[in-house]
Amino acid sequence: MKNILYNTGYFLREVKTIIRINLLSNVFSLLSTGLIFFILAMVISGWWVSSQVIETIQGEAEVNVYFKEGLDKAGSIKLVEGIKGIAGVREARLVDEAEAYSRMEEILGKEAHVLAYFDDNPFSPFIEVKIQIDEIGAILKELEFMTGIEHVRDNREVLERLRSIAGVLRVLGYLVVTAVGISTMVIISHIIRMGIYDNREQINTLRLMGAPEAFIGFPFMLEGLLLTLGGGAIAAAMSVFSLKYLYAQMAGPLPFIPLTPLGTMTSQLVILVMSISAALGIAGGFFGLSSAKSS
Amino acid sequence: MIEAKGVCLKYPEGTMALQNINLQIEHGELVYITGPSGSGKTSLLKLFMGVEHPTAGTLRVLGQPIMKGQAMEIRRLRKLIGPVFQEFRLIKGRTALENVMLGMRFLDVSHRSIRKDAHNALVKVGLEQKVLSLVEHLSWGECQRVAIARAVARKPALIIADEPTGNLDKDNAMNILALLNSFKDNKTTVIITTHATHLIEGEKAAGHISMDKGNMSWERLG
Repeated sequence: MKNILYNTGYFLREVKTIIRINLLSNVFSLLSTGLIFFILAMVISGWWVSSQVIETIQGEAEVNVYFKEGLDKAGSIKLVEGIKGIAGVREARLVDEAEAYSRMEEILGKEAHVLAYFDDNPFSPFIEVKIQIDEIGAILKELEFMTGIEHVRDNREVLERLRSIAGVLRVLGYLVVTAVGISTMVIISHIIRMGIYDNREQINTLRLMGAPEAFIGFPFMLEGLLLTLGGGAIAAAMSVFSLKYLYAQMAGPLPFIPLTPLGTMTSQLVILVMSISAALGIAGGFFGLSSAKSS
Repeated sequence: MIEAKGVCLKYPEGTMALQNINLQIEHGELVYITGPSGSGKTSLLKLFMGVEHPTAGTLRVLGQPIMKGQAMEIRRLRKLIGPVFQEFRLIKGRTALENVMLGMRFLDVSHRSIRKDAHNALVKVGLEQKVLSLVEHLSWGECQRVAIARAVARKPALIIADEPTGNLDKDNAMNILALLNSFKDNKTTVIITTHATHLIEGEKAAGHISMDKGNMSWERLG
């Protein structure tokens, strides 16, 4: 370790030489690594946005419980308390006719004047129940057995679909991360093997003079690390640029999508991409060195 | 220093490179190994450096047994050896100074003194004017001197020079031999191989190993 620290300048010069020997191949590797990391960054940011959308929607998951007409105020309050006691119910509150009417006015907006055609308030009171989406089945079953309930309106189908979309996105994300990891490792280990082959005479000379394997291999590891970090930096720059553009495009026509603030998104993405590129560079370096050694 | 008893070396393809080698070289001796091409000189040096292992017999170099499964120990042994390779094995694209320094970077020496010691070694071999020259710009004889400087700068216990006079005219060859001879002292043993036996006639060596088809005859002179 002491040797490696003392020889930092030498190792950096070695890396420069190794890269210079295979300049074109290294440039293409840098660009292809950058593109791979860019795809990864885009998938991750898409994953984050969709996860947030789904999380927000899931947080709003609710069912509406309509009770029998004859139920008085005290009875409906008792029913609310009973519903609150069901496992998986986050919140339950009574929405009376007046609130139901004003909500509909809000939803209709400019078209709300149609409500004036009704002589009386056409809306019934109901109980708004916010739930944990995973518990929807059990909650609906419990509600079935409660007395005083006329019917329950749930949007189970939509919620289930959202849940399956989230699952698919998660699997897709894992697959892309795995594919990027493997391809980056293959590229980097190939570059390192090539560097070792081109410098085999120097490596043999160092071995004959008693140089430790760590001393001989470190410049090649450093080369792999610099290539992936360079690729990561290219990907990070492209991602920041692309996200700025995409956010600007989405803000106008799709204002209802709950996006993470751009600054937070880009800084998290840059940190993640650079960390992944460093980790893959080191892993690819070890892989390349060990495969070159064994052959 | 070096002790060989009944050492044989047979390459995997079946060639018997060395047969029944018995010798003892002490600290501070100068030993010449002579013989025609293919006689086994380089194979013997490969054994001394732990590049090959005896297929029979025992060999100890600087106290270290040369045998399979001793990779770490042999690496440590090589740090004590100053090799001068047949084709120099200098690193292209680097200066003479960088080449000499490279041989010292992984040794247990003060990193502050590496540059100074490397420079001094180049001065000793008469290359003070070529310290910062790229090795590909040097003549054959100058490259040979850089290789020697790289070996001696490591302050080795054993200098092994494989055909250091090859491709040199007689005057330059004599100068190189004299230079290598000058590094022999109480602490440093020097072993030189050459196929030009006429160059070492009259040289003050402790021993002379004559190789022929893998067999050796050992003549102690000192």
